Amino acid sequence: MSDNAESPTETQKCDPSTTQQPTEDSGTTDEKKKIDVLLKAVGDTPIMKTKKWSVEKGRTVQSLSQFISRFLKMEPNEQLFIYVNQSFSPSPDQEVGVLFECFGSDGKLVLHYCKSQAWG
Amino acid sequence: MADDKDVLRDVWFGRIPTCFTLYQDEVTEREAEPFYLLLPRVSYLTLVTDKVKKHFLKVMKAEDVEEIWFEYEGTPLKWHYPIGLLFDLHASNTSLPWSITVHFKNFPERDLLHCPCNSVIEAHFMSSIKEADALKHKSQVINDMQKKDHKQLWMGLQNDKFDQFWAINRKLMEYPTEEGGFRYIPFRIYLTMSDRPFIQKLFRPISPDGHTHTLGDLLKEVYPVAIASDDEAKRYQVVIHGIEPLLETPLQWLSEHLSHPDNFLHISVIPAPSD
Repeated sequence: MSDNAESPTETQKCDPSTTQQPTEDSGTTDEKKKIDVLLKAVGDTPIMKTKKWSVEKGRTVQSLSQFISRFLKMEPNEQLFIYVNQSFSPSPDQEVGVLFECFGSDGKLVLHYCKSQAWG
Repeated sequence: MADDKDVLRDVWFGRIPTCFTLYQDEVTEREAEPFYLLLPRVSYLTLVTDKVKKHFLKVMKAEDVEEIWFEYEGTPLKWHYPIGLLFDLHASNTSLPWSITVHFKNFPERDLLHCPCNSVIEAHFMSSIKEADALKHKSQVINDMQKKDHKQLWMGLQNDKFDQFWAINRKLMEYPTEEGGFRYIPFRIYLTMSDRPFIQKLFRPISPDGHTHTLGDLLKEVYPVAIASDDEAKRYQVVIHGIEPLLETPLQWLSEHLSHPDNFLHISVIPAPSD
């Protein structure tokens, strides 16, 4: 499914104490709010230089996956697997905001990414 | 309890009589007859429509056939949603059979995920079960199972084998006695008049002071609009597997007995029919 091409905003580099707080909107829709995502590489998948990202709640897993693939300059035929809690792969159309609400901890959603199937 | 086990069977064997018609603009060598089929509520469209595909391919040339997709009154049907959910959400309160249009061209990329083979359905199904167990048991039960147990869950669904499926699934429905229920209830509430796909949040079956949460408690917390106040006419129906459970029903009981095979409670909130 296609999504708008806007990239997630980069937060302050890697140091948790300087992580930008999700921006507060003055009473507008939830979709405008952002959540913090921490991307972790699995196995010998390339590590992203910037691991912490501020992502809009309404952003889909597929959209984020495409962003990571582009960032890592992956080939079009290469697959990327995304995992939550190191246990399940969310549906590509799942919104990151919902994942954050249910599986976020310490104010962020940790997502593991891998070029091959890690946790089945 | 004998009655509760009957509920499990009723849910598993629920069927929707469906009429599949080929989209009028598809190129055929001769007229395509509609195809009738009873669809299992708890399964997925692309898993149970091989016969439908074969039927229409008989009147079409191979070069005119791309990935199959289904549509109801202009809305592409998401194969990764359980069939019963799709029906309750889009075609409740309409006359049977459910009329679905079949397409082999112009796959709607923005609306649907691709489904090139059954292993994609299996992966999606197993991921849903894993997500549900992450909520119910911090993934402890699903992770303690062997790969062959996971396979048995999928084979049970694929081959419509209730006993085979529930031999394993019953373990996913257990909880420590002292807890009184699962850690959180896996649920999704789908709304027809909304741009968001569904509501899913953390919700406990038992409150900290030991009060058993009901379906009504859940709705009041996450979608209060669904519940009419005493003095106004009911505007919405809250539907699970084609029925409206009483709002007083304990959520833990609903989770154990009315979940889909993917271990989620898929709840539709639809406009109440105006008589």
